[in-house]
Amino acid sequence: MSLLEAFGDGFARRALLEAVMVGGLCGAVGVHVLLRRLPFFTMALGHATFPGVVLAGLVGISLFAGAAAFGAVVVVVVALLGARDRVDDTSAVGVTLSGAFALGVLLLSAQAGFSRDLTAYLVGSIVTVRPGDLVTTAVVGAATLAVLAALHKELVLGAFDRGGLAALGYPVLALDVVLLLVVEATVVTSIPAVGTILAVALVVAPAATARLWTERLRATMALAAALGAASGVVGLAISLQWRVAAGATIVLVAAALFAVSLVVAPRHGLLASLR
Amino acid sequence: MAPDPAPVPAPAPPVLVLRRATVAYEREPVVEGVDGEVAAGQSVALIGPNGAGKSTLIRAVLGLVPLTSGTIQVLGRSPQAARRQVAYVPQADTLDAEFPVSALQVTLMGRYPRVGWVRRPGPADRQVAARALAEVGLAERASARFGTLSGGQRQRVLLARAIAQEPRLLLLDEPFNGVDALSQDLLLAALARLRAGGAAVVMATHDLGLAHLACDEVCLLNRHQIGFGPIGTTLTPELLRATYGGQALQLRGDGVIVARP
Amino acid sequence: MNLLQPFTIPYMQRALVEVLVLGALAGAVGVLVVLRRLAFVGDALTHTVFPGVVIAHLLGRSLLLGALAFGVLTAVLLTTLGGHRRVGDDAALAILLTSFFSVGVVLISRTRGFTADLTVFLFGRVLAVDRADLLQTLAVAAVAAVVLLLLHKELVLRAFDPEATAAMGYRTGALDLVLNLLIALVVVAAVEAVGTVLVIALMVVPAAAARLLADRVAAMTALACLLGAAGGWLGLAVSYEVSVDHGVRLAAGATIVVVLVGLFLLAAALAPLRRRVVTR
Repeated sequence: MSLLEAFGDGFARRALLEAVMVGGLCGAVGVHVLLRRLPFFTMALGHATFPGVVLAGLVGISLFAGAAAFGAVVVVVVALLGARDRVDDTSAVGVTLSGAFALGVLLLSAQAGFSRDLTAYLVGSIVTVRPGDLVTTAVVGAATLAVLAALHKELVLGAFDRGGLAALGYPVLALDVVLLLVVEATVVTSIPAVGTILAVALVVAPAATARLWTERLRATMALAAALGAASGVVGLAISLQWRVAAGATIVLVAAALFAVSLVVAPRHGLLASLR
Repeated sequence: MAPDPAPVPAPAPPVLVLRRATVAYEREPVVEGVDGEVAAGQSVALIGPNGAGKSTLIRAVLGLVPLTSGTIQVLGRSPQAARRQVAYVPQADTLDAEFPVSALQVTLMGRYPRVGWVRRPGPADRQVAARALAEVGLAERASARFGTLSGGQRQRVLLARAIAQEPRLLLLDEPFNGVDALSQDLLLAALARLRAGGAAVVMATHDLGLAHLACDEVCLLNRHQIGFGPIGTTLTPELLRATYGGQALQLRGDGVIVARP
Repeated sequence: MNLLQPFTIPYMQRALVEVLVLGALAGAVGVLVVLRRLAFVGDALTHTVFPGVVIAHLLGRSLLLGALAFGVLTAVLLTTLGGHRRVGDDAALAILLTSFFSVGVVLISRTRGFTADLTVFLFGRVLAVDRADLLQTLAVAAVAAVVLLLLHKELVLRAFDPEATAAMGYRTGALDLVLNLLIALVVVAAVEAVGTVLVIALMVVPAAAARLLADRVAAMTALACLLGAAGGWLGLAVSYEVSVDHGVRLAAGATIVVVLVGLFLLAAALAPLRRRVVTR
């Protein structure tokens, strides 16, 4: 299998570019997702943007915009629900996820039964990525990374010591919302590549892998981005070669990297702890 | 010739024996060299600053963390084997205040080791639980939801749960933290009754005054054992300063020590 | 709106029994899921059984068995792999569930009818439940109910105070495995009827609603079962009525979930009022 040959066609080259960008973005954001313990929320976001996509399809606006807008609504709902007595964060996410997804299913079935677009939305369809999508990914990716860079120290402190951040006078809730919106933008941007269900994998796995190899935060982010991009490239190549779903293959590569690191990483791996 | 005097019964074996117990976490010792015995009816205060290893030691006695070296024997057996006879009273604020259980139901949980798997607690168990709640002065709040009680009341319920277990050894982690004065008195009285009944008590505490009231022995810890013995001879200014390092002040005159935990 | 008339039709009757049983079962197990904040675990299980279903489908075997095999595997993995310091449980769970799901997607993408199969798996076909499916569901529900009854006090103790549970000598690992297996059973039983995404709703939403209104585990459980069953019944009735009488096709499973979320919001609105009435 020649890697270059695999990427000969136009669509494949676009897919490659998308895979690299999405993988890199997810990796970097993923580190913050892990610091703040947001994997479940990220997963729920993927599911919960579904109605937004359906609505956007009905109304005729960009699916991306629909997903993004609805995702923002979900972020607010989860935050409000979780703040109530006797509703813990996990249940708040569970209720919102189910409700939103069911709503999307209802809208879709009311429309005319299920359409072919559904699968692409759920598990990705990176090989049908258009040049317009690439531009969107690049712009959103750059903006997201810029926000992360600008607020780096605040986000890290907030993850580590929320009380301390508040005591210093920072608007903690606003910063929370900013981070959640960053995660949302990342998830929505990943949908064409890996779909909603698998987006959380690309966000979490490279970052979790990176954390097993390095202690310093900035190094972790760089490594996570690199691993994310690498998973994208390798996964895409394999899927093109064997004609299987690309998004799922990318995720399996990322997971494999994680599993291997879990065993061999010098300080935190299984082999190391046995010594 | 005078007849042989009546044979003196051998002293009961100690409830808890620690011999150079050491717990390490990833090759870093967390608490080491703990050495001492606690007899039935005795009460020991674990005293030391934050991070001294008091909670770790308690967990080791419960058999929840393994020892790296040394031994711990509870009632002559390993900690895991003796668990049924050992009751643990955590700090009440570690528990979910919104959990849908009543004070009586929490107390009843103390009967589970005796009731065993699958079976439900019976009327006799309920009576024991009700008596235990009465002992801590909460009989009339038995059906209140656990989370609606005050901090001090919740701590009393947790002690009632331990009492209901009818243990030989009682381990308490900072039982007086944030507890109101009335609850403190009731806790102390209940502990005294437990000791009179033959149970041994080990409690981790910051409160030197309460340690004097509740315990006859003290174990001074700061990652390693600094002293273990009767409170009168062990809770001295020098040893306290050694335990708390720079955080112990000595006031002129009576030599009263105020240590900032 | 007629709540009884749709159910004179045989396929609607079967669907009703299916959702009543599932609603009650998921509600009961859901109480423990909510109290222990395990919604993510439940969600993970709905994804990890997918490759089991796909493999069973490709081999022409019972889908339930395929789901069951992977459900048990997941339950065991979850119980044994928890607690790594550098990898949070959440992260491990997310990676586990997406890898399994991806295996299923990869396998199924090589077959024709990719889209249709995926759709059925995700959204279920409660209106296509036949007698064999119903019997399977009842069998699984019976097993789960027995386990729940036998070990109730231990599972509740573990949810309330894990340290005391260990201190009293219980093997918390064993209890956790039991609960994970129970959740797996519910997922497996419900997957064919309402689909994976909606199973999590059945487990979390009624129990979360019950939690807002109940002060005892027993009351919470009863209320959760009731709400789960009621949501199933109402959801079916509404989806039938709207689809048949008004010509707007509403997917049955999704309607049930929307009804359940509606009940949850109702409970959330009533909860503060109730607290004012119950003065203690």
